Amino acid sequence: MPRLNFWTLVSISTWLLLLVLLFLPVGSILISSVYDDAGNFTLANYARFLSEPRFHRAFLNTLVVGFGGLAGALLLGSIMAFCISRFVIVGSRFVSLLAILALVSPPFIGAYSWIVLFGGGGLVRGWLRAVGINIPPIYGLAGILMVFSFKFYPYVYLMVSGALSNVNRSLEEAAEGLGLTPWQRAFKISFPMVFPALSAGGLLALIHAIADFGTPRLLGRGYNVLATEAFNLYSAEIGSNMSMATTISVFLIAVSMFFVMLQRYMSRRNVYHGNMINKPIKIRLKGWKNVLAHFAVYAIGFLGALPVIVSVIYSFRKTSGPVFKPGIGLQSYERILFNLGDVVRNSVSFSISAVALIVLVGTLVGVLVARRTNLNTSLLDGAFMIPYVMPGIVIGIAFIAAFNTGPVVLTGTAAIIVLSIFIRRLPYSVRTTASALRQISPSMEEAAISLGYSPFRAFLRVTVPLIVPGIVAGGMLSFVTAINELSSSLVLYVGSTMTMPVRIYLLILDGDFGTAAAMSSLLLLLSGLAVYVAFRLMGRNEQALL
Amino acid sequence: MAYLAIAGATKQFGPDFRALDDVSISVERGEFFTLLGPSGCGKTTLLRSIAGFSDLTSGSITLDGSDLRRIPPHKRDIGMVFQDYAVFPHLTVFDNVAFGLKPRKVPSAEMKQRVDEALAAVRLSPLADRMPAAMSGGQQQRIGIARAMVINPRLLLMDEPLSNLDAKLRIELREEIRDIQRQIDIAAIYVTHDQEEALAISDRICVMNAGRVEQIGTPQEIYGDPQTLFVARFVGTLNTLSPGPALDALLKKLKLPQSGVQTWTVRPEQLELFETGAASADAAALSGQVSKYTYLGREAHVQVATDLGHLIVQLANPGTSAGYRRGENVSLVIRRDAPMGFDAAGRRVPMGV
Ligand SMILES: Nc1ncnc2c1ncn2[C@@H]1O[C@H](COP(=O)(O)OP(=O)(O)O)[C@@H](O)[C@H]1O
Ligand SMILES: [Mg+2]
Repeated sequence: MPRLNFWTLVSISTWLLLLVLLFLPVGSILISSVYDDAGNFTLANYARFLSEPRFHRAFLNTLVVGFGGLAGALLLGSIMAFCISRFVIVGSRFVSLLAILALVSPPFIGAYSWIVLFGGGGLVRGWLRAVGINIPPIYGLAGILMVFSFKFYPYVYLMVSGALSNVNRSLEEAAEGLGLTPWQRAFKISFPMVFPALSAGGLLALIHAIADFGTPRLLGRGYNVLATEAFNLYSAEIGSNMSMATTISVFLIAVSMFFVMLQRYMSRRNVYHGNMINKPIKIRLKGWKNVLAHFAVYAIGFLGALPVIVSVIYSFRKTSGPVFKPGIGLQSYERILFNLGDVVRNSVSFSISAVALIVLVGTLVGVLVARRTNLNTSLLDGAFMIPYVMPGIVIGIAFIAAFNTGPVVLTGTAAIIVLSIFIRRLPYSVRTTASALRQISPSMEEAAISLGYSPFRAFLRVTVPLIVPGIVAGGMLSFVTAINELSSSLVLYVGSTMTMPVRIYLLILDGDFGTAAAMSSLLLLLSGLAVYVAFRLMGRNEQALL
Repeated sequence: MAYLAIAGATKQFGPDFRALDDVSISVERGEFFTLLGPSGCGKTTLLRSIAGFSDLTSGSITLDGSDLRRIPPHKRDIGMVFQDYAVFPHLTVFDNVAFGLKPRKVPSAEMKQRVDEALAAVRLSPLADRMPAAMSGGQQQRIGIARAMVINPRLLLMDEPLSNLDAKLRIELREEIRDIQRQIDIAAIYVTHDQEEALAISDRICVMNAGRVEQIGTPQEIYGDPQTLFVARFVGTLNTLSPGPALDALLKKLKLPQSGVQTWTVRPEQLELFETGAASADAAALSGQVSKYTYLGREAHVQVATDLGHLIVQLANPGTSAGYRRGENVSLVIRRDAPMGFDAAGRRVPMGV
C-alpha cells in the first residue's frame, strides 16, 4: 500500500529531523561539557560548577526566581481567574485582552518599562517622592519577581479560568447540601478539580521564569541566574568559555525537565472532564466586595499590560537622538524606517519561514502521532517534550555547539535562527494537530471510504478541510512566538541576521529607549494581527495561546 | 448460494481474545437482516469486516458470488450508516448526499435528480442547502441514510443508527428505515442491542453472544421458540422456576419429562391469574401472594411469591381497575405448553408437547 510507505517515510524523516536538530545539539552540549579546550575528557567543568560559590549562587537564584515567579503568577492568576469566572465583572473581556497583551508583549521591554517607572530615576518613584513616599528602586530580586509575576500570571489565569468555568455546579451544590462551608467547598471540591489546570499553568510560569534571561539581565544588577551566567560565559569578549556555558546548559535542561516530570506526576490521576450541562453561574457581588473584586482584576490586568502601554506611549514621544524631549513626535518610527528596515525584514521573513516549516512538518507528524498510535509514535510524542522545555539560551548554545564545526556549518546563517525557532515550536504544532484529529470521529473518514473514496482521498476530502482552520490558527500563534523569540536568536545572530527582539535588547543596553519602544510597538502590532486572525479562524480561544 | 454469505468468520484481537468466533450467516436479496446482541458481543466487528474497515483473521465473505475480502473497502460498493451519524460538517446537506456520487462520475443533472429523490425519501428536501452542524440527531441520521442509499449500494449496513436518539423518534425513524429498504429492495444488515427494535423491523434476526451465533430465525422464531437460554433471556422477559419439591410436583402434574433439563423457565405472558384456584386438564395451578404490582398502561405486571420463587405474570388490558394489592392471595395457572426447559449447556430441550 502506498499510504503505508508514505507514513513510514514521514516517521523516518521525523526521527532524522529530531536527530539533527535535537539530539545532535543536545549531545553536543553534553560532549562539550566534558571536554576541555585541548580535547581531553574531563569532569573539571562539573567539579567547578559544584565547587564555585558563583555557580551555587546562580543555581540557587534560579530556583528562587523560578519559585518566586511561580508563586506570584499563581497568586495573581488564580485571583483573576476566580473573580472573572465566578463574579460578574464589568468589561471582563477587556480584562482578558489585557492578559493576552501581557502574554504577547515583546520580551525585555517589560523589564525596561518597569525601570522607566520604578527604576533609579523612575517616573512613578519621582511622583511618590514628591508626595513624601520613598520606595527603593526595583532592581534586584524584588524587581525580578515583580516583573515575573505580572508577566507570567496569564499562563495561570488562562488555564485556570478554563477549568473553573467547566466545574460542574451540581458538584458544588451537592457539597453545599452536605453541609460544607464555602471554604471547605473551595478546598475539597473546586481545588482538586482545577488542580491539573493550576499545576499546568504554574509549570508554564515556572519554566519560563527559569529560562528567562532578559529580566534578570536588565533588572538583576548582579543578581545572576543560570541563564545569565551561561550567556555571560558564552559571550564574554575575552575568555569565552564554551564548555562551562554548556555545563550550565546541562543543569538548566535538567532543572526544567525535573519540574515537567514532577508536574506530570502530581497531576497524573486528576483528569476531570468538564460537564457542559450545569455550568457555574456568575454571582453579582454587592457593595465593597464588588469594588474589591473589580479593583483586583483591573489592577492585575493593567499592571500586567503596563509595559506595553508604556512602550506604546514612549514610542510616540519626541526625541533627539536617544534623549526624550517634551511633546509628541514620530522620530523613533522614522529611525526604524530609515535605518532598521532590514531588521524588521529579517524578523518577518525568518518568522514566516519558521512558521511555514512548523505548520508543514507539525501537521504531518501530528497526523502520524494521532492516527498510527504505536510504540514508535509514542516515543516520538515523548521526544517532542524535550525541545518544549529547553530554555532559549540553551537551544542557542546547543546549536552553536553542534553547527559551528563538523559536517554542517550553519553559524552566522539565517537558517540556524529559523531552525532554532522551528524546533522549539514544532511540539506545539504537533500537539494541536494531533488533538484536532482526535476530535474528528474516525467514522467520518470511513463514511467517505464506504462511499467510494480511497483512504488517501477520504483523508484529503474530509479530514483536511476539518482541521485546516485549526492548523492555520495554530500557525498564526506560532508566528507570535517566532517573531518575539529573543534568547536563542541572541546567541545565534550575526550582524546581517539581526532580528527585532535582539535589536530592542541592544537598543535598551545603548539607552535608546525611544527607538526600542517604537520597535516593540511594531512587534506588538504584528503579534496582535496574528492573534486576531487566529481568533477569527477558530473563535476566541485564549487557551490556545499557551 | 446466498446473496451475502459469511462462513467461519473469526476475528482475533491479541493472542487470546476472539471478538468473532466461527460466525456463519447468509442473507438473501432484499432481506432485512438484524444482528442482535448485548454490547461487546462482536456486532460492530462483524459489520466492519463486511464493510472492509477491518479484516477477518480467518473465514470468508462473499457478496453476489465475489470474494469481498479481496476487494478494498472503497471499491466494495457497500453503503454504511453510522451510530454517530458521521455527517460531514463542512458540507451542505445536499453536498453530503451527493458526496458518494462524485467518485462514481454521475453526470450533474442525474446527480441532482438522484440527490433530490433521496432527500425526499428521508423528508429533508427543504433543508437541502443548509449546513448540518446545528441539526438535530434525527435530521443528521436522515442525512446519513440518504447519503448511504443514494449510491445504490449492493448492501446497506447500519450500526446502531438509532441508539443516540430519543425513544419516540427511534420508533418513527425505524419505520421509515424499513419502508425505504422495502422500496429500494436492497439487502440490509442492521445492528442493534435493542430486542424490541430487532423484532419490529427484521425479516430475520441473528442473536449473537460473546462472538458466537446463538440463533438465527424470524422474529417469531426468536421470540416464540428460542433455542438457547441466552436467547430466551435476552429477547423478552423470562421467569426462572426455582428447583425443589414444588417444581418436581408441578412437572409431574403437567407430565413434562425431567431428564436432561437443568433450567425451567416460563414467559410472563404465558401465565394467568385466577382468584379462585380452578385449572383445566392440561394446566396446573399454583398458589401465591402478590408481592408487587406494576401498572404500565397497556399492560400490567404482577409479581407473585410462590413455592417456585417470585414469578412475574403479565396481564394484557389491565384497564383502569385498581389492580392487585400487596399481600393478596392469588392462584396462578401454568399451561402444559408454557414452560421451556434448557439443558446444562443452555440448549433448549424439546418437550414433544
Ligand atoms: N481494535 C480492537 N482491539 C481490541 N479489542 C477490540 C477491538 N475492537 C473491538 N474489540 C473488542 O471486541 C469485542 C467486540 O466489540 P464490538 O464488535 O465493538 O461489540 P459490539 O458492537 O457488539 O458492541 C469487545 O469486547 C471489544 O472490546
Ligand atoms: Mg457496536
